[in-house]
Amino acid sequence: MIFLRRQVPLLITLITGLVFAAQYYVPHPASEQMLTSVTKWLQIIGGFALVLGVSSLFHVHAMKIRRKEAGWGYSFVLYVSMLGTIAIGLWSNGKEAVDGTMTAFGWIYNFMMVPLQGTMFAILALFIASAAYRSFRARSREAAVLLIAAVIVMMGRVPLGEYLIPLSGDLSQWILNVLNASVRRAILIGVSLGTVALSIKIIFGMERSYLGGGKE
Amino acid sequence: MTFAERMLKIDRRIIFLVIGLCTLLPLLYPVGLPIKISPEVRGVYDYIESLPEGSVFLLSLDFDPASKPELHPQAISLLRHAFRKNLRVVAMTLWVSGTGMADQVVTQVAREMGKESGKDYVFLGWSPGGTAVIINMGQDLYGAFPADYNGKPTKGMPVLQGIANLRDVNYAISLGAGNPGVEAWYVFGKDKYKFELGGGCTGVMAPGLYPLLRSGQINGLIGGLRGAAEYETLIGQKGKAIAGMDAQSATHLAIIVLVIICNLFYFSMRRQATQQSRSGA
Amino acid sequence: MPIEIIIGAWVATGLTLFIFSFLYKDNPLFKLAENLYVGVSVGYTIVKTYDTVVVHLVWKPIVENGEWALLIPVAIGALMLTRYVPKAAWLSRYAFAFIVGVGSGLAIPRVISSYILKQIEDTVRPLLVMVPGEGLTFTWNLLNPASSINTIIILIGVSSVLFYFFFSVEHTGPGKVVARTGILFLMIAFGAAFGYTVMARMSLLIGRLTDLIEFTDPSYGSPSLWLLGLTILTLVVMARRSGSKPEEE
Repeated sequence: MIFLRRQVPLLITLITGLVFAAQYYVPHPASEQMLTSVTKWLQIIGGFALVLGVSSLFHVHAMKIRRKEAGWGYSFVLYVSMLGTIAIGLWSNGKEAVDGTMTAFGWIYNFMMVPLQGTMFAILALFIASAAYRSFRARSREAAVLLIAAVIVMMGRVPLGEYLIPLSGDLSQWILNVLNASVRRAILIGVSLGTVALSIKIIFGMERSYLGGGKE
Repeated sequence: MTFAERMLKIDRRIIFLVIGLCTLLPLLYPVGLPIKISPEVRGVYDYIESLPEGSVFLLSLDFDPASKPELHPQAISLLRHAFRKNLRVVAMTLWVSGTGMADQVVTQVAREMGKESGKDYVFLGWSPGGTAVIINMGQDLYGAFPADYNGKPTKGMPVLQGIANLRDVNYAISLGAGNPGVEAWYVFGKDKYKFELGGGCTGVMAPGLYPLLRSGQINGLIGGLRGAAEYETLIGQKGKAIAGMDAQSATHLAIIVLVIICNLFYFSMRRQATQQSRSGA
Repeated sequence: MPIEIIIGAWVATGLTLFIFSFLYKDNPLFKLAENLYVGVSVGYTIVKTYDTVVVHLVWKPIVENGEWALLIPVAIGALMLTRYVPKAAWLSRYAFAFIVGVGSGLAIPRVISSYILKQIEDTVRPLLVMVPGEGLTFTWNLLNPASSINTIIILIGVSSVLFYFFFSVEHTGPGKVVARTGILFLMIAFGAAFGYTVMARMSLLIGRLTDLIEFTDPSYGSPSLWLLGLTILTLVVMARRSGSKPEEE
């Protein structure tokens, strides 16, 4: 039983990992066909993964409503809006517009989802300003360097800044294309080496946290 | 509490009000300062200009409503440019919550430029799987998207004639707000299928894409609202990006002033503290 | 203006202002909008996933084109869902093992090629550049990222930052100089990232306010102006009702 629960999944990971890593170097039509089919499967499985993601949300808020915990009214709003959107979406056949005319589903998307999501992220602008005022202090030499670079880039990337101090535009271009590019490159190389190392560890069964589900 | 300490602990709602006014007033009373074009944005523009009529242009709108203010103007400008050059436009998205928005922007610009779905452009819609979709399109476009967003079969569509997979795409641009985005299109797309790739992104993603720009992995980068404004200037059609530039200038200046003031108060506080400790000792 | 657009404008403006009211104080209007947002987003995702996956990627190909092989990914996906059945949860491991195995296998050669080899290739570029008319020369133009001086700066930047993150070697002596150079480069890059983040966030605010200004138009019934007045009134009433207690931030 342990073989079925622990060894077989690890075996599956090992075989699929090695096969698809090798596939990159094998241009034979059969290998390409295998890649085509399996990536098609991944699209379908990806859909199931999305369902998995949202079902935990269902569960958490259903519990809140059932136990009438503090704020359960809001969980009720969440549920009603979710079910309402699903019902209207299925009624509109999942389409936001038919031949240019907006459906009910499209109405919910354009006049509820877009403004809500947009505004949620727009208020971050104000929080970043308030946080910058309170904590962006040149406490050390390094912090001062960070501050000066930030000010130069903020000046150089707006028309008013380039108009007042033309040098800021050229300087911010140099900072971005040379200094910033070199640092990001180093971070990219480092992170990629880590990703490759982790992937190899997963394939060879040294890293098992992704398995989850069930005992041991 | 000294004046400096009081100013540093000021109610944050006052700062909200200052930033709010700095954004609102320039939108109501625009000035219209000139916008300098950066080489990154020019890279994308020049390449599209150089494409012959009938070339295949793939535009992947990989963003959701949260990034709409920055990437929507980029999408509009790119589509206007592509339709003006009579390129065959293949649009799609890898982000589920951006599907409605992507459909709306492609339909709107196509109608404005008098283009017909199926003949001049096609909107493939969304498919789950992110990077798996890119690889699948690289292997077989019709397998990844058997039908377009309106349900019409893609096989046999006039606009997709002669296209079997991503190798037949002349230029692809991904407007990315995160993952999957420009990087995914390179790693899982251009690396193996060798099409030319450009990028558009939010301001948050932009600095991280400069290594790819420098190494030639992407041939241009349109960064944030400023990039969109530059592109609107290049194609000569003003839109929401240019309109927002004055507000952008005002808010940046406000933040710089706030940061400088904060540091002035901080240093004056530190000086007072050292003076006090010296006189106390 | 069609009636559904006018109603839509009022609803959109109202929801926008509900969320903005959070800037004054956390309040029930904001919580309502927040939960509405999550509900609608999740509902939209579910509808789209169902329409795309079940109808277009699975049902139609199997029933109309007879692609029975697609039952395999459906089975794997179904296995994934057994995660919620405690007795059979171990079956979901097969699905995750497959997905993770394929994902890792696909990623390794592509990441090595794109991010490691290609990036290193561009870092170690020749220092002498062929300039038409001058032959091989060392170019000094700082504004051209491909000039020789910038190639050296990029090389120093990449190596010092990579060295800084190499914590298994002690940063003493010459190593300390390299690490400190790395930190300097890092701080400049973070400063640039902060500048761009400010730019991005401000753009989002500009976008929302542009939409609000658009909805002040009388053809929609000027919802922005009416609802703004109503929101301010509500916040004033709320502030009065919370009494003379000093406002906490």
